[in-house]
Amino acid sequence: MSAALPSLTLPPLSLYVHIPWCVRKCPYCDFNSHQAGENLPEHEYVDALIEDLKAEAPMAQGRRIHTVFFGGGTPSLFSADAIGRILENVDRLVGLSTDAEITLEANPGTFEQARFSGYRHAGVNRLSIGIQSFQEAQLQRLGRIHGREEALAAVEVARKAGFDNLNLDLMHGLPDQTTAAARADLAQAIALAPEHLSWYQLTIEPNTHFYNAPPLLPVEDTLADIQDTGEALLAAAGYQQYEVSAYARPQRRAGHNLNYWTYGDYLGVGAGAHGKITLPESGRIVRRWKTRLPAHYLERRHGGSTGPMLAGEQTLEPEALPLDYLLNALRLNEGVPSAQFTERTGLLLQALQPAWQGLEEKGLVHPYRERLVTTDLGRRFLNDVLAAF
Amino acid sequence: MTDLSHIRNFSIIAHIDHGKSTIADRFIQVCGGLTDREMAEQVLDSMDLERERGITIKAQSVTLSYKARDGKTYQLNFIDTPGHVDFSYEVSRSLYACEGALLVVDAGQGVEAQSVANCYTAIEQGLEVIPVLNKMDLPQAEPERVAQEIEDIIGIEAIDAVRCSAKSGQGIEDVLEELVRLVPPPVGDVDAPLQALIIDSWFDKYMGVVSLVRVTQGTLKVKDKIVTKSIGKSHVVDSLGVFNPKATNLKELRAGEVGFVVAGIKEILGAPVGDTLTHANSPDTPALPGFKKVKPQVYAGMFPVDADDFEDFREALSKLTLNDASLFFEPESSDALGFGFRCGFLGMLHMEIIQERLEREYDLDLITTAPTVVYEVLTTKGETLYVSSPSALPDTGDIEEMREPIAEANILVPQEYLGNVITLCSEKRGMQKDMQYTGSQVALRYDMPMNEVVMDFFDRLKSASRGFASLDYSFDRFEAANLVRLDVLINGDKVDALALIVHRDHSQSIGRSLVEKMKELIPRQMFDVAIQAAIGGNVISRSTVKALRKNVTAKCYGGDASRKKKLLEKQKAGKKRMKQVGRVEIPQDAFLAVLKVDS
Repeated sequence: MSAALPSLTLPPLSLYVHIPWCVRKCPYCDFNSHQAGENLPEHEYVDALIEDLKAEAPMAQGRRIHTVFFGGGTPSLFSADAIGRILENVDRLVGLSTDAEITLEANPGTFEQARFSGYRHAGVNRLSIGIQSFQEAQLQRLGRIHGREEALAAVEVARKAGFDNLNLDLMHGLPDQTTAAARADLAQAIALAPEHLSWYQLTIEPNTHFYNAPPLLPVEDTLADIQDTGEALLAAAGYQQYEVSAYARPQRRAGHNLNYWTYGDYLGVGAGAHGKITLPESGRIVRRWKTRLPAHYLERRHGGSTGPMLAGEQTLEPEALPLDYLLNALRLNEGVPSAQFTERTGLLLQALQPAWQGLEEKGLVHPYRERLVTTDLGRRFLNDVLAAF
Repeated sequence: MTDLSHIRNFSIIAHIDHGKSTIADRFIQVCGGLTDREMAEQVLDSMDLERERGITIKAQSVTLSYKARDGKTYQLNFIDTPGHVDFSYEVSRSLYACEGALLVVDAGQGVEAQSVANCYTAIEQGLEVIPVLNKMDLPQAEPERVAQEIEDIIGIEAIDAVRCSAKSGQGIEDVLEELVRLVPPPVGDVDAPLQALIIDSWFDKYMGVVSLVRVTQGTLKVKDKIVTKSIGKSHVVDSLGVFNPKATNLKELRAGEVGFVVAGIKEILGAPVGDTLTHANSPDTPALPGFKKVKPQVYAGMFPVDADDFEDFREALSKLTLNDASLFFEPESSDALGFGFRCGFLGMLHMEIIQERLEREYDLDLITTAPTVVYEVLTTKGETLYVSSPSALPDTGDIEEMREPIAEANILVPQEYLGNVITLCSEKRGMQKDMQYTGSQVALRYDMPMNEVVMDFFDRLKSASRGFASLDYSFDRFEAANLVRLDVLINGDKVDALALIVHRDHSQSIGRSLVEKMKELIPRQMFDVAIQAAIGGNVISRSTVKALRKNVTAKCYGGDASRKKKLLEKQKAGKKRMKQVGRVEIPQDAFLAVLKVDS
């Protein structure tokens, strides 16, 4: 039994809802997604999510949910009615803040676009569209089921549906990609004027098709050129970088992701969803995760007493907390207020020593008097910084 | 009973992977030493490492009972010998304990130099050498040609040599019959004062030092008070017996017999290989000839990657020396690598084995510096120093003369590769002393700097001859040579642990290739890393590892943090294998870059 953490306070609470199906699995994706059969068990799955939510509700400990994220998989495979039913139950079982940010990940395919307006009416107020690239050849290679034209149209349809808060997911460092090609993709995205851009480098993860049959990726120097060129382009267009891969117009940062990065709490419902909860009364921080396979998740919806779909719960060891916290917080360009470390981990700042001092001497982090933040160098070598903890 | 006529003491001379261990296993099987279930493959090579590399590192023995075709039962004592060029002294001691030896030759590959060297040792010591052609099951077996080769090269009759296949079991009993027929029984007076040869000693954590001995005269009994001649300290025999192959206690070992002795000796150095055991009450019994204190030929610095492991490292080395009298170590400190040990080895293979055992059995992360031989240095003050570490070399101004060790190298090579091998030998500064054509092979004798021999010569020789050339070498003398210290600078700072002693004629090219090799081995970091090679104050080559521009994971999904952590753990594990020198992280293999240089 590890020592309790007396100075923990309850942070804000978010909700992650996982929809585990896709039309087809992409070769770079290592998420819990499964090829959708002919008949998606939409209704049963929403039933299961409601069961799941009921069991999670006590974890809210009186808090309302301030952000919701529908992720996948492909949440836009679900009807607007289904999404609406989930949100009604979230509000009924846990409680939603009146100004809650509610994001849904959507594919830019025509089939999904028809639903955008329905989602808006169901209460979704932010759409995150998985564009990835505007080049047909790259889209095919990435196994995407949409084309350039659909990608371009998606933003327009979303605007017409009443979305004033859009994110586009765009990748770079794609197979054989030149700096010019990456720049063209990004310029096209900027031309669509979304409020937010997640512009991230393709990484090959274990348990993906690309891992088993690696494509030829650009060399390190090209990747760094792409990064530099892109950052300049985004800055010039008024997108401020606030995280390693996140860029936003003023006041349009992703509330849900910021909650992760500032070590807020979140409930996770759906197959394979992960949650993180602070329990100040027992001085613990726990991670909870749900059974992974959709079929099992559906079967267990009338299950046992520990919360029907819960697959595991783990109390984080105090020794693991500094890394767990910094892994997220230091991704932010502005870092976090130093006091937040103690509030959200229950540890004194001293717990970061002597590693912090060592990094300071190498010019990778600033002294932590007011904020925990890396230097520009440290941000570019964040993995080296984190390796110290 | 004083009849020794039923005893046969023998060993097996064979080149690596000519099938010695497999034959030994067959013998044990035929003689019923173990049930099939107990018969784990290759019983004699008991250390994991030995099994993996297919070589015997420590000698072992087994006593078998064989019912021959003449109806009599014989006691066969098989004394195993190490099978690598680094361990020739141990081989000579094992052979001394025998009356006969089986020369096992791969019927497809033919004779190899090391077998030849061991065979000569056996013949010199008066052993009956019985040729055996193994691997007859293979289609490429050419018994007639190989038999002729044995006759040509070694000069023993081999036309009627037993043909066998240890793998299939064919001919194994014929080999045993030949052993019984040809190897003479031991002679020795069981009533004379005790005289026993220590063939091998090892440390057992329950019993202390266990020695394998061959009693040459007298009788050794439990409770006897014994002394080792070179040490002179007396001990009481706690137990003795034979391995068949399980340890079996007996009351006595008599002249002619081979077995183990446990006598409360705490350190392996208390029972050195080749020494003689006598009774404490007959201290004047002469020592058996040939005892040598083993001297390391190759030295290297070994440093724990994590300074906190230093004490564990010391303890691990102490434990290893319990079983390995040829391993030497003394503390060494390096500006770059901190505290570690300068270790001495018989050769490169020995070094690799020790390094692997330390990492595997003792879970240590180590950095090994480039191996070096011992140089003799005459200072201007007239002192003679023996330098086994480049950083310990006096300043150029204080050196009157530097002398390098010269080895006598015997090489056996098929004629078609002779040209390649001669080119290689002259590249390695060898002086040809002799060349003999023996059948299809050529026997070469060279004087060659020990430094060249112990580094990559053996591997180069193998590749120059598609694996067919073989080598045996021994230290011969020190000889004056034009040697210099090659320093390596990382970002302008001299790194002591990377210095080398090289011949001046080769210093430029070694410097250039070393720097290039290190550039390949040092990963890109947050800043440029300049690598320079210098002699005296003069930089002779340089290269730069360009800075990485970023190292950051693009996407981090808050939900499941465990995946991201795994990635970081992997990166951390990679860093653990690096040593930070100044600001630069240098991987372990970069310290041995010189071994990977094609000079």
